[in-house]
Amino acid sequence: MDNGTRRRFLELAGAAATASIAGCSGQRLGEGPDSGPMPEQIGSGRSPFGNRSISGGTSMVTMPPLSGDLTVYSGRGEPLVGELVSFMEERYDGLTLNMRYNSAAELVNQLQTEGDQSPADVFFSVNAGSLGAVKDQGRTVDLPREVLETVPSQFRDPDRMWVGTSGRARSLSFNTEALSAGDVPEDVFAFPETDAFRDAIGCAPTYSSFQAFITAMRVLNGEERTREWLNGMLDIGLDTSYSDEFLVSQAVADGELRAGFANHYYVLRVQAGRPDAPISVAFTRNDAGAIFNVAGAATLDTADDVDLAANFVRHLLSAEAQDYFARETFEYPLVPEVEPIGELPPIDELAPPENVDLTQLSDIEGTVELLRDVGAL
Amino acid sequence: MATRSQQGEDDRFGVAATLTSGVVAALLLVPAAWLVRTAADVGLAESIAILARPDTVQVLVDSLTLVAVVTVASIVVGVPLAYLTVRTDMPFRRATTVLVSLPLVVPSYIGAFAFVAAFGPRGGLRRALAPLGVDSLPEIYGFAGAALVLTLYTYPYVYITTRAALRALDARLVDAARTLGESPVTAFRRVTWPRVRPAVAAGALLVALYALADFGTPAIMQFDAFTRVIYVDFTAYRQDRAALLSLQLLAATLLILGLESLIRTDQPVHAGGAVGRAGQQVRLRRWRWVALAGALAVPFLALIVPLGVLLTWFFREAAPAGGALATTPRIVGNSIGVAGVAALAATLVAVPVAYASATRDSRLAGLFERVSYLGYAVPGVVLGLALVYLGVQVLTPIYQTVGLLVVAYVVRFLPQAVGSIRAAVLQVDPALPEAARTLGRSSVGAFRSVTLPLVAPGVVGGSALVFLTTMKELPATLLLRPAGFSTLVTRVWTAHSDGYFGAAVVPALVLLVVSGLSMLVIVSQEGYDVR
Repeated sequence: MDNGTRRRFLELAGAAATASIAGCSGQRLGEGPDSGPMPEQIGSGRSPFGNRSISGGTSMVTMPPLSGDLTVYSGRGEPLVGELVSFMEERYDGLTLNMRYNSAAELVNQLQTEGDQSPADVFFSVNAGSLGAVKDQGRTVDLPREVLETVPSQFRDPDRMWVGTSGRARSLSFNTEALSAGDVPEDVFAFPETDAFRDAIGCAPTYSSFQAFITAMRVLNGEERTREWLNGMLDIGLDTSYSDEFLVSQAVADGELRAGFANHYYVLRVQAGRPDAPISVAFTRNDAGAIFNVAGAATLDTADDVDLAANFVRHLLSAEAQDYFARETFEYPLVPEVEPIGELPPIDELAPPENVDLTQLSDIEGTVELLRDVGAL
Repeated sequence: MATRSQQGEDDRFGVAATLTSGVVAALLLVPAAWLVRTAADVGLAESIAILARPDTVQVLVDSLTLVAVVTVASIVVGVPLAYLTVRTDMPFRRATTVLVSLPLVVPSYIGAFAFVAAFGPRGGLRRALAPLGVDSLPEIYGFAGAALVLTLYTYPYVYITTRAALRALDARLVDAARTLGESPVTAFRRVTWPRVRPAVAAGALLVALYALADFGTPAIMQFDAFTRVIYVDFTAYRQDRAALLSLQLLAATLLILGLESLIRTDQPVHAGGAVGRAGQQVRLRRWRWVALAGALAVPFLALIVPLGVLLTWFFREAAPAGGALATTPRIVGNSIGVAGVAALAATLVAVPVAYASATRDSRLAGLFERVSYLGYAVPGVVLGLALVYLGVQVLTPIYQTVGLLVVAYVVRFLPQAVGSIRAAVLQVDPALPEAARTLGRSSVGAFRSVTLPLVAPGVVGGSALVFLTTMKELPATLLLRPAGFSTLVTRVWTAHSDGYFGAAVVPALVLLVVSGLSMLVIVSQEGYDVR
């Protein structure tokens, strides 16, 4: 890879990293795991979307036990993964997980600065971009095939250097009293001509996930087409005054907006807090509006015990962990046998655009410049 | 230059002080060295291209304008507050002192976030006022918002240093001027001001460098400051370019330091000798309560906006976060512990540096004092990464331990103590320690028994600054803390960054209460004179 390509790689990775720092939500877990038949469910198994039991996937019970000390640099926040970490530590007496929580971008910078002196064994991150950046630094070690192949090929690195552990979809939240699912076009480029959205659609232009979406459009459709789309949206009164996508989703539920751009889990988060809220979620097909990004993990070349590190990553893909992501962070499980939560369509019914390498997504500077130029920022 | 004393061969204390500050200065050059090393990856041609880009230059000019406005505003706010709480009979002066200092513990990015949430286009305040027919609020984004937020959370630097100088001032001088028929205003201008000026300058310098190096506020207020550009490069994993731009930031810092060196008085401003001889207080009469209301308005705005916003979220958020966000006594202990140790360590190091630069007519001592500002003037994340490098290469045994964390705090916040203590030393008449020497004391003994008691208010003020800012330090803490080590501010960050704004309320409140109580202890220790 020449230098230019590598730089673009890194730039894209950057946008994706910032995209997912401000994250998803979870629900308070009950005290202690069930002592019922295996596999155990992490926490109580309760969820705002009804109780469920683990339906499929490979249980931790069948995996080799984890034993020893493992240092994990986690770009995923403690509120999102802390319960999972404690579950594993309680399950295995000999296991100590040293979790270092920080934003994904800072952890990548820290890994780069530490170089081969790094104490880190595993990098667990919020997006493909940051995983790709560490891979580009030559710091990752390839994962065992049977770990990688737990998830479909589009959710893992073709060079086997990292694997996705959960996913989030770009989506359009809509107010179910004002619109029905059929009113939302399946093509994001039809939005500017959709009268139902006029003066009633909103977004959070400073929010990194929205910027990553615009970046995807620039990569897929080019600068000019993206500019036209933005101008068209502004012409029908796109409300750009929201500071984050949870607020956009709240405004949709309140009827302030008919529709809003948001990651799918924000809609579930609103629903979790307000079960009767008139809000639902729709997905476009095969365009930038349907980008699907993953959180994932990589083992590092500084790992003391590469097998232990890989086995930890394997545990993130266990039936228990995948069920946990679905119930607690409202993300998409990536192991096909585990269902997503609530009314979300199964993962194979989503149609993210093809030929988008998530680690290659975006230079945010260009996107920010474009957003400024058209007056959206 | 006026009498600089004790330059004989027997001034062992002064020499030792210079040597100590030399060692400290060497340590402080580490961040700069790391930046040069990292920036070297960019390559010369591209470096020149980046640095000469018209928008780079424009951004630098905008940043310096922001720095100037924030600095002046902080002086305008901080000096009168210090005067009111030290020299007048305003009621509740001790409580006011604590409250007025507290905005310093609010991480400015939390402040910025709160101001956007309250005053932004969809902000809570706008919603609340809409039914009353108020539909326009001043624009919070951009230059004005960034300047407002930075001023609200940095004026305590000027307040605390100025307050220390006013307390160390022999107020009988002011009384004498008043007896000779000067008005309070003239007495302030001719007697008080020249003596507190070094302290005001020290505080203002801290404000200026903070405003220049702050990452969070310009990013949130959407103001194109220098740090925002650096931040974009860091988050895009272009560490080399970020380092290059940080070097340019460092150059701007040197410019500010140089300017301050030129305009500050290096003359000792001593007169009299008794610490804080109270003298006559300025009687405010019926203005007492007006003054109190005015004094409280500033911290009220700075504290109530973030608390109000967090509380709103607390009640709105139907799904509370899990136990991962609990605020335990251990976390409170961690915060107070590291901040206390850092304040103590920074003060111990700062005393020789400040003393050498204020009393010795040596360019070297002055240079070392200036160098102590380097750690403070680079953005926290840059300093943090530089220490990560130092940690894995040299200080391996203490990497990711509390030890290196404390080193980071000392390197970052040392100038806060140095500035305050140096201003205090300049107030001491060199004739006094000299007299002690004449009476047979060693130079160390003279310092301990004569100078130190006289500079005590400055030392306390300096340690208070280090303590409060360590309580809120985030970027270096996140990079260098031991695994599993949480403080109040990392809890606030954790809750905020995962979108559990409501869960940030408890740690934020505890942070304010604990810092307030600590300030109260510090203020009581110095025997605050309430009459």
